[in-house]
Amino acid sequence: MNYLGNILSYQHFPIYAIMVLFLGSFLIAVFGENRIARNILALLSVTAALGFVAALIKPVLMDGEIISYWMGAREPAGGYAIGIALEVDALSLFFALLVSLAVFVSGVYSIQYMNRDHNEKEYYTLYLLLCGGVMGMVLSGDLFNMFIMVEILTFAAVALTAFRNTARGAVEAAFKYLVVGCMGSTCILAGTAMLYAQTHTLNLAQLAQLVPGDVNTATKVAFALLFVGFGTKAFIVPFHPLAADAHGAAPASISVIISGVLTKSGIYGIIRITYFLFQSMGLGTMQFLLVFIGSLSMFVCVTMALAQHDFKRLLAFHSISQIGYVLTAVGLCTALGVSAGLYHAINHTLFKGLLFLAAGAVLHETGTTDLNKLGGLAKKMPHTTVLFLIGAFSISGLPPFNGFASKWLIYQASYQKAVESGNIGFLLVTVIALVTSVLTLASFVKVSHSVFFGQLPPELENVREVSWGMRLAMGIFALLCLVTGLFPGLVTGYLTEPAATAVFNVSQYIEAMGFDGSAAVQPEAGSFQYVGAWDPVSWLLVLCIALLAVTIAAAAGKYGNFSRNRAARREDKYQLFYGGEAQELSQLGGDDLFWGFKHNWRGYFNYMHRMHSGIVNDYALWAVIDLALVMLFSLIVL
Amino acid sequence: MTVVIDALMYLGYVLIFPGFLFCFLAGMLLCGIDRKLVAKMQKRVGPPVLQPFYDFFKLCGKETIVPDAAEGICFMFAPLLGLAALVVIQLFIPVFGFTAISGMADIVVILYLLLIPAVSIILGGAASGSPYAGVGLSREMVTIISCELPLVLVLLAVAKTVGDAMGTGLCFSLRGIAEYQAANGSLICRISMLPAAAAMLLIIPGETGNHPFDAAEAETEICEGLLAEYSGAPLAVFKLSHAVKMLTLTSLFAALFLGGLGTGMVVLDALLLFVICAVLTALTISFVHAVTARLKIEQIFKYYWTVVTLLAAVSLVLAWYGL
Repeated sequence: MNYLGNILSYQHFPIYAIMVLFLGSFLIAVFGENRIARNILALLSVTAALGFVAALIKPVLMDGEIISYWMGAREPAGGYAIGIALEVDALSLFFALLVSLAVFVSGVYSIQYMNRDHNEKEYYTLYLLLCGGVMGMVLSGDLFNMFIMVEILTFAAVALTAFRNTARGAVEAAFKYLVVGCMGSTCILAGTAMLYAQTHTLNLAQLAQLVPGDVNTATKVAFALLFVGFGTKAFIVPFHPLAADAHGAAPASISVIISGVLTKSGIYGIIRITYFLFQSMGLGTMQFLLVFIGSLSMFVCVTMALAQHDFKRLLAFHSISQIGYVLTAVGLCTALGVSAGLYHAINHTLFKGLLFLAAGAVLHETGTTDLNKLGGLAKKMPHTTVLFLIGAFSISGLPPFNGFASKWLIYQASYQKAVESGNIGFLLVTVIALVTSVLTLASFVKVSHSVFFGQLPPELENVREVSWGMRLAMGIFALLCLVTGLFPGLVTGYLTEPAATAVFNVSQYIEAMGFDGSAAVQPEAGSFQYVGAWDPVSWLLVLCIALLAVTIAAAAGKYGNFSRNRAARREDKYQLFYGGEAQELSQLGGDDLFWGFKHNWRGYFNYMHRMHSGIVNDYALWAVIDLALVMLFSLIVL
Repeated sequence: MTVVIDALMYLGYVLIFPGFLFCFLAGMLLCGIDRKLVAKMQKRVGPPVLQPFYDFFKLCGKETIVPDAAEGICFMFAPLLGLAALVVIQLFIPVFGFTAISGMADIVVILYLLLIPAVSIILGGAASGSPYAGVGLSREMVTIISCELPLVLVLLAVAKTVGDAMGTGLCFSLRGIAEYQAANGSLICRISMLPAAAAMLLIIPGETGNHPFDAAEAETEICEGLLAEYSGAPLAVFKLSHAVKMLTLTSLFAALFLGGLGTGMVVLDALLLFVICAVLTALTISFVHAVTARLKIEQIFKYYWTVVTLLAAVSLVLAWYGL
């Protein structure tokens, strides 16, 4: 009894959450031939992982405990951490929650989404391996283990990118991802090795204790290596073209994981190294690096998205653009900024997951994601359309959906930072963020017009709504988008503010593992005070009253009575409009919809077009240049 | 008991002032004044000032036809959503000292709420399945992008100026802006705010989609674009929304730059607000309409992102250095 109680103590839950995912992966590899056994195993392991992580909310997020777990009870000996450790503070658990949630929903979706593919056994094996890798990375208390997990998840992600290897570009995308992803992993390994040589430890808490006291050239180079390494995992500029290729080729359920979870692991790594390992190198200057790269990602990727004509590639660029928001907010180094960034990270997982699943639903039924070939699906797939619109409104930040709640915090945090620091650069960040938001809206107006509204091409007459399992998965995300949008107080109070507090509490992180944290450089956190006011529930109430009033008045005026114009077929009616011009040259949909905008920026767009050559050599070169620049920055400035 | 009275009061705000009834009457009157003024400037007789009312009720009596290619629910529902969203914005904008619903929204929220009516007309047009609407949608969206950047700069400049004066550094709340102006006089009297006010005046016709920034509707070219397939009552609602949008933007200008003029009596304030809105409409919409020809969409974009943005940016920089 006592033994059982010991096993079920929540101290063990972190390792269980990692184990069930890997165990599921191995079991499916062995017993996965049977379809039912495979599905049950996959669902069981993702549900169990979600359960174990959710059970930790109470002790870690609400009570503020930090779980330290030494594998095999190998505690530090002689002042040095030799054993492998897990350390779960509020920040780790926050990311673990995102991971397990996205993994669960995507798992539910996969079951009916992948039913037309072969090799489902391999799919689930790799899928759970990928999920286990990310889970292990965010819960690890050891820099080298983080590297191991990064390797596992990179290789699983590369294999899954090429999963539909008969599709055009899949193998090419996987190859690009492999090359640059390996450069990133190598950077992480090299950075880890340099730190190890200097401090003789790999434990994060002990590194956080030792590194700040001894900053020299090697430490600065290690910082640059780790930053660039985790940057490739988050696909921030200049690694964004890989994300587009990978998302374009991978199955939708994998895109959810790559965008919602894998990029977050990169962000997690960046937060860990900047705030915990290298705090003494001057957060004020590191701030510039994070905010600059974040704003650049925001703007470059949203403009790249405007030029796309493939549904999933477009979503991929938006994914990185939103990651730019997260990075910028986290880089502000204020409590409000970190809290806002983490809030946006949750929302990004939710709405991006929803949008990728909707794109997957369209691909599943129509066989294409080309915006120029789709149209009018709202009449054929009404539920998918509504769910897609919720996702589109969320990412464009329309109230009352969740994107608005977090972006609103980010604007405040950045503007407040600008005023407090007197630095006009942060003001520019606020403006870029606001403009990016409206460009995002434009991009999603394009998608909804080109895919769900507009005219239905004759080839798509027989399209049907997707099966209930896929709609259920999308529904979960859509519901969560609404909940996190309508009750921002709950999200900030229970999730992001504890996590942000943990970010600014380095000494507690060090002491939880039994080391001396008194010398840690504690960044000044500031308060969670807002300058604005936003009450989504009351606003929605007022809007509903107003809408009800309009609807009643309209109904009283016989608004609902209309007749369908069935006589005039569209072919006859709009012939005049085309005037003999080839249809694909007109600005009716697809990539050229916002001609008026792109025309004025044609120099920029042409330049971008030339730069994104699609050749892996170029992208590898970008990675090297990026590394050189970050190294230069950290050597000279930090 | 107090709950019931509160509920009735809020219902009154939503339905009468500054909600529906006020929006309907004032918006339509502004529209009528605008048409009359443009006609006078062009040496025409023009329609009677009450013509928009007649048009509205006439359209409501007409048959509604939904094209075969359209997605019916979205097509019919979009106009209603757009109108409701506009009325809600009007509730948040203070009428000098009087705020119907305070503490619920700030200027960033207003910025985003202003997108909802635009998105609803875009979705309605997209749902109609017409290629004219497709072109109109593209231009409408580009017009929104064009106006967004200068509008953002104007709002940030106001937030900084008021925040500086109040010692908080920043003030996003519309109520705070109104209170500051009640105590210290209108913001337009400050030199740093003059370029911002000018930029805001130039933004008004762009946001409402009036001449010369009406490429998205361009009757003579793409048959009113997004509205090409609309008829009957939904069209009437869109026309009403357009009128209300004129009221919303002009009263937003009044709230941002002309605060502190109020008398303290709600009825007089409402009248004063209407007069100010009418003057602003005449200045920014009618006069500009009468003397300009329609711009191409890429010209609209260029104009807003250069001239108007520059004005707003100058104001923001001046505000930044506390002038």
